[in-house]
Amino acid sequence: MPSGPGREAVAVSSGDDRPFYGAAVVRCPDGQAAAARVRQFGEHFGARVADLYAAMEEELVTLHLVMALDAEGGYVDLTWPVSGEQYPAISEILPAAFVEECEIFEQFGVRPADNKPLNRVAIPPRAEAHFPRLGPAPGHEGRHPRAPHYVAGEAFEFPFGPVRAVAQESLYIGLVTSGEEVIDLYLMQWHKHRGLERRLQGLPPERALFFVERMEGLSAVGNGWAFCRALEGCAGVQVPPPIERVRGIALELERLYNHAAAVAALAQATGLSVGQAQAEIVLEQLLRLNSVVFGHRYLFGVLALGGVHRAPEAGALRELLGSAVDGLRREIEALQSTNSFMDRLEACGIVSPEVAQRLAVVGPVARGSGQNRDARRDHPFGPYLDERVEVATRASGDVLSRLEVVATEAAESARLIGEFCRAGLRAQASSRPVHLPRSASALGWSESSRGESLVSILVDDNELSRVRLRPASVRNWRAFDDAARSRNVFTDVPIIEASFWLTVAGFAR
Amino acid sequence: MTVAGDALQEQAAARQLASAVRKLFGRSLHVRTVDTGSCAVCESELRLLLAPHYDLHRLGLFFTPAPRHADMLLVTGPAVRAMDTALLKTYVAMPDPKIVVAIGACPLGGVYAEDDLIHGRLDQVLPVDVVVPGCPPNPLALLHGLLVAVGRLAERVGDLRFVIEEPGP
Ligand code: SF4
Repeated sequence: MPSGPGREAVAVSSGDDRPFYGAAVVRCPDGQAAAARVRQFGEHFGARVADLYAAMEEELVTLHLVMALDAEGGYVDLTWPVSGEQYPAISEILPAAFVEECEIFEQFGVRPADNKPLNRVAIPPRAEAHFPRLGPAPGHEGRHPRAPHYVAGEAFEFPFGPVRAVAQESLYIGLVTSGEEVIDLYLMQWHKHRGLERRLQGLPPERALFFVERMEGLSAVGNGWAFCRALEGCAGVQVPPPIERVRGIALELERLYNHAAAVAALAQATGLSVGQAQAEIVLEQLLRLNSVVFGHRYLFGVLALGGVHRAPEAGALRELLGSAVDGLRREIEALQSTNSFMDRLEACGIVSPEVAQRLAVVGPVARGSGQNRDARRDHPFGPYLDERVEVATRASGDVLSRLEVVATEAAESARLIGEFCRAGLRAQASSRPVHLPRSASALGWSESSRGESLVSILVDDNELSRVRLRPASVRNWRAFDDAARSRNVFTDVPIIEASFWLTVAGFAR
Repeated sequence: MTVAGDALQEQAAARQLASAVRKLFGRSLHVRTVDTGSCAVCESELRLLLAPHYDLHRLGLFFTPAPRHADMLLVTGPAVRAMDTALLKTYVAMPDPKIVVAIGACPLGGVYAEDDLIHGRLDQVLPVDVVVPGCPPNPLALLHGLLVAVGRLAERVGDLRFVIEEPGP
């Protein structure tokens, strides 16, 4: 972790407990002390909720609140044991933690002590007590996030899903509408829950990486790199810069094809078939480029623990990248000069800066709402230590701002790839064995196309005892209903969904 | 393989598929997809089948949101149990003869082992007629898979009895 001004000011108490990497661990004896610390971090450091998760440690549910100190360039892992079934609500201090509080209730049976109803996240309704969970089952079920069917006698709920349009992920959307305007909207994502975090416990690290890549395949590199970094941190493995740059190229290629896919989806949602076709041509070009350069269209299997499994075909990269990136830029410009397109985007799906701040969203959704954050710049790692990322933001928080952010980021990705190539790449695949220490905790992070992706791991007895995956989708779906409610009509919902460009797989994992 | 080689193969597969659909189904065949817990990449490849490079429409295949119009069901993901109801409802709503194609390594059991959350294999839930392996299968593999599926469906259409033959006295 880079040290920045003020890093020393973060009180760190490690005691004789397990060593930690990536995030400074602050241990608190109980919930009260933790809540006081959370307030302190929130007020003095402007800490942002990056993640909240639980683990079973010595028969007790232990909570870990990962806070990002973006200005300082560091992460803090605030941890405390929960005795009994309740703990002081973190979401009362930092509202963004609500979705994780719901998750923890389902998986570990402990809940915040504020008596607020908790939403269903990943466990299907009427699940039996023996349903596979990470910890003890709760005494009762979370509620369905069901909106009232009648609002002022006029609105009704339009059920949509889980089987939706062709070749779209399964997702249930409950649209509450009076016929045209979206009055309320809620989502059910548990149809896709695969219990990945539970599956990863005790797996050999190489096997675990296979699953982490397939948790949310559209961010295989983004999430996989975060996982590799966490493991390499606690195993004391240093990855040489020429190899880190190869990883950087893979990450930027992944960001690029996702941006092209989002633009295609946006054109489709606005009914512009020509625009859609053109964006899809660029998308296919970028996927073929991935396949030529790294051997896989979606860059699975590029990352290895301690290195990379594949060396890039640098010649092909130089030859093919320019025209694909130009194509994407031209396509976005063409769309931006189409009035019928722009009319649908402006003032559509607004996430206000206040909401973005309160819900601690990440990635283009945050940057389109004036939040100047990017893990590659704020918490630089690997090749980004030498190459500063220019972060673009827009203030208005609508679909158009998110498109503009994405357009600028695509150009920046192309520039970064050029810089990494110039700085020199390792021409052969190279990985190093990673031996887990006896006991450790570690945080790894990266910035996928959807935003900051975090992986926390706990190691006990040389085994992965807990792997926490927090892809950007977990944070950003939280702002989706706010965006959809902001004076939109029915047909705006697919446009907003395309502009968020999230996956259900990542949320439900 | 070279890019040019890929393109040639693609054209050949596409031509075969188009002529099979035309001959057997008078030019249109309707396809529905269901995701049972994929990682979102198989969906991405399926969407690209409609994109200009592959353009499934020109071959007489159409994606349809309505299971009642569908002849073919493409299933991605490892058959998460929570999707059983939705998957079966979709299948039952499709008219006979119908065909089920498992897309990718997930529904073949190549990614997840069975447990209380996941069947791990699609054939635990539905009769699977054609499998298209790959993680993900690229659009060329998908085209080949569709070609095989069209052949199977044609056999089934040939087997259909339109007159119920009562056994003689
Ligand atoms: S087969 Fe592979 S690419 Fe397809 S959904 Fe499963 S993990 Fe993803």
